[in-house]
Amino acid sequence: MIILALDALDQDLVEKYKCKNLMQMEHGQTDISDFELPRTVVLWASFLTGRNMEPEIPVKTQWEFKLHSAETFLRFFKRYVAIDVPAFSLKEKNHAEERTLLKKYFDEKVSVEDYDSLVWRNHEENKRDFFNSLGRFDLVIAYFDLADAVGHLSFGIPEKMSRVYRELEDIAREVKSSTNDLTLVISDHGMKPVGRFGDHSENGFYSLNHEWKLRLPKMTDFYQLIKQKV
Amino acid sequence: MEDYLSNLERKSISLIREAKAQFRNMGVLWSTGKDSTATLWLCRKAFFGTIPFPVIHIDTSFKFPEIYEFRDRIAKEWNLDLVIAKNEEALKNGTSPEKGKLDCCTKLKTEALKNLIEKEGFDALILAIRRDEHGIRAKERYFSPRDEDFRWRYIDQPAELWDLYVKPSEDFSHMRVHPILHWTELDVWEYVRRENLPMNPLYLAKNGMRYRSLGCMPCTVPIPSNASTIDEITEELRTTTTPERAGRAQDKERAYMMQKLRSLGYM
Repeated sequence: MIILALDALDQDLVEKYKCKNLMQMEHGQTDISDFELPRTVVLWASFLTGRNMEPEIPVKTQWEFKLHSAETFLRFFKRYVAIDVPAFSLKEKNHAEERTLLKKYFDEKVSVEDYDSLVWRNHEENKRDFFNSLGRFDLVIAYFDLADAVGHLSFGIPEKMSRVYRELEDIAREVKSSTNDLTLVISDHGMKPVGRFGDHSENGFYSLNHEWKLRLPKMTDFYQLIKQKV
Repeated sequence: MEDYLSNLERKSISLIREAKAQFRNMGVLWSTGKDSTATLWLCRKAFFGTIPFPVIHIDTSFKFPEIYEFRDRIAKEWNLDLVIAKNEEALKNGTSPEKGKLDCCTKLKTEALKNLIEKEGFDALILAIRRDEHGIRAKERYFSPRDEDFRWRYIDQPAELWDLYVKPSEDFSHMRVHPILHWTELDVWEYVRRENLPMNPLYLAKNGMRYRSLGCMPCTVPIPSNASTIDEITEELRTTTTPERAGRAQDKERAYMMQKLRSLGYM
């Protein structure tokens, strides 16, 4: 099984930019209305464990929060690799650097281009790790924060966002052409514009290359669904 | 153009009358800008010259002198029941744009309005927002419920099919009514011209600059323009590629995002 965990992938933009490979055979929105705030670490932790982790993950220390594989659906797989997955295998240094630069941007010490280039560099690293892992594990789950990170500072700039969605669509296309494995594309939340900036919206996105006939699934539903399917 | 504007007007008037029929204690927000002034005009037309509910002006005390002059003149000429919402306590405590634009807006606009709603018990407010102003406003409905914290859950909005506007049965504190949601900026100016509406002089160019959107003085900048008449403004709007709110809110949006990213744990 392959899981593309795409932070902030937004259904409206997937459809707007006609990303057919991201949409796969079945796609739709996920329901995250049970969560008070659409926080990245909380949502991915809840996706992995099948339960709402919001009360257990304080805002201040969320990036250090780590689950054990026994608490997650990863335990259903004999050989798995989790690339940069929040609450599990996050590349702390990369994300700490991104957050530092984000703060510097708001302090007017760096430009949005400086921030973007770091985000793209980290994205390329994850992409390399992901494609190197394909075909070698029962489960490959890879997290990409490109749409979220670029979107926070540039969601209102169509040229930038179309490039981001083209890139993610290319990854999905390459996955489709290289494997027939069950593939789930899932985001934690969508995004909505605040002028040129982007804020987390209250709906995530999912798609599958098999028909599961899901209707507005919750993030926490996937634990059981994956358990049943594998 | 006349038929087109008349159609827009007809729908807006019908929305205003529908709101008046549905809600017992309604008010209309008036910033004195072009959109809300056109909306007041529509309210007057809907009720044959007299607006039968309060007209609310949120006064941050940082607005342009021209805004206050225009407000007082029109309130008198149109015989408006003008209610001024002002957060005196925040002003006494020194709230100002210099001390943080987002905090300033929250206290002097949002809280001032919240306090007034609580005090007067409004169950509906007419607002002059338009779908073409901003991406997020494109998702708005004509009747848009808000909870007591002013939160808007756009995924749970009523569908509004066949022009039916249904009041949600629970979990809302007041309804936002948007009678000119379907208008564009150009429509408003065409309507201002057709109806010969009074307009704030700040919209007209002086020395190559004019205000395209009016807010508080420290947070609004003029745009380069030579449009010194309504005709010239409509002509300018047909060809411009500059967003309407280019002279506003950048700082506010930036401050909002910074605060939001903090709450989400990014910073």
